[in-house]
Amino acid sequence: MASDWKSFEPVLIPDIPNLDKIDNYIKNGGYKALEKVVKENGWTPEKVVNEVKEANIRGRGGAGFNAGLKWSFMPKPDGGPRYLACNGDESEPGTFKDRKIFEYNPHLFIEGALIAAYAMQITTIYVYIRGEYYSWIKMMEKALQDARDKGFIGKNLFGTDFSVEFEVTGGAGAYICGEETSMLESLEGKRGYPRVKPPFPAQKGLWGRPTTINNIETLANVPGVINNGANWFKNIGAENHPGPVLYGISGHVNRPGVYELPSGVPVMDLINEVAQGVRGGKKLKALIPGGSSTPVLRADQLDGVSMDADSLREAGSMMGTAGMMVMDEDTDMVDVLWRISHFYHHESCGQCTPCREGTGWLEKILLKIKNGEGEIRDLDLLLDLTTQMEGRTICALADAAAWPVRHTINRFRDEFEARCKKSVHAVA
Amino acid sequence: MPEIFIDGKRYEFEEGEDRGLLQFILDNGKEVPFFCYHPSMSAPANCRQCYVKVGTPVKNRETGEYELDENGEREIRWFPKMQTSCTTQMQDGMVVHTQETSEEVARAQKDTMELILINHPLDCPICDQAGECPLQIQTYKYGPEGSRFEVKKQHKPKRIQLGPRVTLDAERCINCTRCVRFTDEISESHQLTIVARGDKNYPMAAPGREFDDPYSMNTVDICPVGALTSTDFRFKARVWEMNQTPSIDITNGKGTNIDLWTRDNLVMRITPRFNGEVNDHWMPDAGRDAYQRFNENRLSRPAIKLDGDNQSKTSWNNAIETFAETLESHGPEDVLVVGSPHASVEENYALMKVFNLWGVNNFKFAPHIEEGTGDGFLITDDQAPNTSGVKLLGYEESNDLASEVKNTKIVIMLSDELIDRGVLSKDDLKGKFSILLSTNECDTAKTADLVIPVTCIAEHAASYVNVEGRIQRSFPAKETKYTNRSLDLEMNQGRLDRFGTNFDNWVTEENKVDCAPAWEIMNQLANRMGLDVSFGRGREIMEEIAGSNPAFENVSYERMDNEMGINLNPSNKQEATA
Ligand SMILES: Cc1cc2nc3c(=O)[nH]c(=O)nc-3n(C[C@H](O)[C@H](O)[C@H](O)COP(=O)(O)O)c2cc1C
Ligand code: SF4
Ligand code: SF4
Ligand code: SF4
Ligand code: FES
Repeated sequence: MASDWKSFEPVLIPDIPNLDKIDNYIKNGGYKALEKVVKENGWTPEKVVNEVKEANIRGRGGAGFNAGLKWSFMPKPDGGPRYLACNGDESEPGTFKDRKIFEYNPHLFIEGALIAAYAMQITTIYVYIRGEYYSWIKMMEKALQDARDKGFIGKNLFGTDFSVEFEVTGGAGAYICGEETSMLESLEGKRGYPRVKPPFPAQKGLWGRPTTINNIETLANVPGVINNGANWFKNIGAENHPGPVLYGISGHVNRPGVYELPSGVPVMDLINEVAQGVRGGKKLKALIPGGSSTPVLRADQLDGVSMDADSLREAGSMMGTAGMMVMDEDTDMVDVLWRISHFYHHESCGQCTPCREGTGWLEKILLKIKNGEGEIRDLDLLLDLTTQMEGRTICALADAAAWPVRHTINRFRDEFEARCKKSVHAVA
Repeated sequence: MPEIFIDGKRYEFEEGEDRGLLQFILDNGKEVPFFCYHPSMSAPANCRQCYVKVGTPVKNRETGEYELDENGEREIRWFPKMQTSCTTQMQDGMVVHTQETSEEVARAQKDTMELILINHPLDCPICDQAGECPLQIQTYKYGPEGSRFEVKKQHKPKRIQLGPRVTLDAERCINCTRCVRFTDEISESHQLTIVARGDKNYPMAAPGREFDDPYSMNTVDICPVGALTSTDFRFKARVWEMNQTPSIDITNGKGTNIDLWTRDNLVMRITPRFNGEVNDHWMPDAGRDAYQRFNENRLSRPAIKLDGDNQSKTSWNNAIETFAETLESHGPEDVLVVGSPHASVEENYALMKVFNLWGVNNFKFAPHIEEGTGDGFLITDDQAPNTSGVKLLGYEESNDLASEVKNTKIVIMLSDELIDRGVLSKDDLKGKFSILLSTNECDTAKTADLVIPVTCIAEHAASYVNVEGRIQRSFPAKETKYTNRSLDLEMNQGRLDRFGTNFDNWVTEENKVDCAPAWEIMNQLANRMGLDVSFGRGREIMEEIAGSNPAFENVSYERMDNEMGINLNPSNKQEATA
């Protein structure tokens, strides 16, 4: 399974030119899955939910939750509005995959979202795209207009009584608005403060109504599941984390980029074959496998590790968004960690104490160490602070800020100690 | 009844109870430290200070019975993470550990405190909040001993004039969002929001806008630190130098419960006092300005017109003598007594009783209503605190006092600035002998032929009936020239070890006004005129009223104190006009 990735035919971003043109997309079988579920009597909403649950599409936004299972948490329709919020905020450093879908295959995502809407009896879909993706927002608006013109969005799709609206909203430059409940606040026109859970969005989401949030790539996998069945999907890639994955490979490799391959590809294959090896023939030093919040792995920890949730957990990290950041032997891990901490400090919404204060403190100590002014005890203070932050906040940003600190220090402790001043404190 | 175990002790709660675990703990006299929670607003759970450890008993799925462990105790499934008690809903059988019985919880609370304090300026010595600062108190009780923070603090703007009455020191802000939630959920002006992100954020009004919400100063009260301060009160007094005396807002008819904060016989500030039936935790800004009336521009010593329009000060004896002689040179039918919705029940009663006994039967008052100024919340159209009270005593409402005055020779007025508020003109009083018993300098006082200074609400214990028919009372908060603090049992004595020394809070003689309660003046007048009247203090006068006027049946100071006010006419409840 792990080695057959070379023969894999991409399905999210297939090698077909001009798929963003709706006629071309339709010519290549597009919107068939939508038509099928909406029109055919056999495809009740429950059946769509069950099929997607069975396929086990694990959320591609970072947390890896089974999409169909999430859909099944929606309460029964009560006649009022229900929402699907599609998360295209894509702000985690190292992550740049959803934009490929917006750019090359927007209708696949739109179709997936519409199927999801049918499955959950949703009345309005929002797609939230980070503000910096200005051109992609424009592309999305165009694609939605095309779909509306063809009758895939709006009243009475395919002559049935299923109606659904679809809108684009641009973010305003805050990473935190990618956190799902913060995104809901932002969609409501408010400051992007994550909400306290419970209540969960399925109970009280946008404007207090039932809402489901999914990542763009997650939804783009849905039409394939409907067209080819859950089993087809489950047979792609790793058993517990199946399906195609958009790997975003960046850093010190010869050919960085977004690659669509099955899940579970060996990490070293991705680095050495897909991305054609470490730049300048240098030695590999470390890998952050799934966006900046996932714990860094040393090169010697990567033996036999593949890109799926189980294998990465065993190795001591996480799948995250599959945004792989590759670092060569010249990389200064103190610098890397400081830069990551700078990001989380800058992006903390500031709502809860441990994150608001902790992210800044982490960064300031790391800056001190980076400048050669740190002391060994600062390292222990940093580790202490991670426990003061982790699991004690409203959203997972504090965890995302704490994990890299803990794991980078633990996994590269020598390097950090070497940067510290020799302690002036007498040893008791 | 569902049960809950907190630190090993069993408590019961009502089925469907939704006040949340933190409030339940506080209501049961225990403590968990907190900052962002406020009982009258939504819980954002952002300070992360109120952590507790929570578990629920495991039930057998088939039998529905609790599973027991080897010791026969209920098996508890602990929540994997500690929970913020402010957002935890109680469940039957729940087991809770606070900082008292859990190391882990105590540690987490200390951790949060350490983090809250790293960027805090810690300038308590010059901070208005010091002495009544939850952050300061919680730090002493639950905080770490020192700080491990050795890097640079985040600096933020200071002395920002958010609006006409509120000044912000952003560095002291702990971002609890109470102020923002107040404008969203209570005053509904939506004027504040948090700006910037992370450790740079603080509350602000929209660009180009002012925080001029008519309730803006409540944010100063609920701000758990010294970030929001009253522009007026800033740096004027330390909390521990002042005495706090319960009272009633007299600037409108709502009867908002307040505290008067006095130092050296001056009222320094006014803050709201909780009364769930009237004003909850809040008061309008306008009511807070009233403190100036209690200190400044007071009528002190009686005054009399001797030659033409010039008033000069006179002795109390002479004032009473003039009062009596004026009455005696006319008959009761020549007298109009104008009661006041601005004065208390006891004052109005004393006047009416004495003049009634002497034979007067012309008792009027002019309501002070300004249509359209009420807001349906704590500001009423009624500009006076006791309109219902004067009515219930039997004063007749008059909407044309000027013509009433025309038909009389002597006009006796109680604490009402009738000329200033346009009910009477100076000319209306020409050719009449006018006597005013009042508290502050005003045009009405300048016009009167005899002016007798009386105590204001800050100087006496007396009652007021609000627009909804609720009778509530004041306590004396500052001394007059004649108050003896150790004899007046209603009065707060301050620190006994300082009583009578130079460090006492009541030393400056000039701050004591030369005035007396209206009922004492009535005692002297009655005595001089041979009438059989002798009023005691407000408390005794109220007993007398309760015994003689059915509207006040069973009313007493004890009941008012125990029940935070009494509704006189529940059937005929009149809502504050919107
Ligand atoms: C701080 C933070 C930032 C996040 N940013 C994103 C993001 O940019 N895009 C995204 O899809 N999910 C993001 N997430 C995850 C979302 O909260 C949510 O789990 C996800 O959108 C659910 O979709 P999925 O189940 O399809 O993955 C973020 C989470 C956190 C805590
Ligand atoms: S953890 Fe950080 S980002 Fe998340 S709500 Fe709290 S302060 Fe905001
Ligand atoms: S807010 Fe409280 S802790 Fe902070 S400086 Fe003022 S008194 Fe001290
Ligand atoms: S100014 Fe005060 S009330 Fe407002 S958020 Fe800051 S600490 Fe809280
Ligand atoms: S009181 Fe602030 S989190 Fe509970």
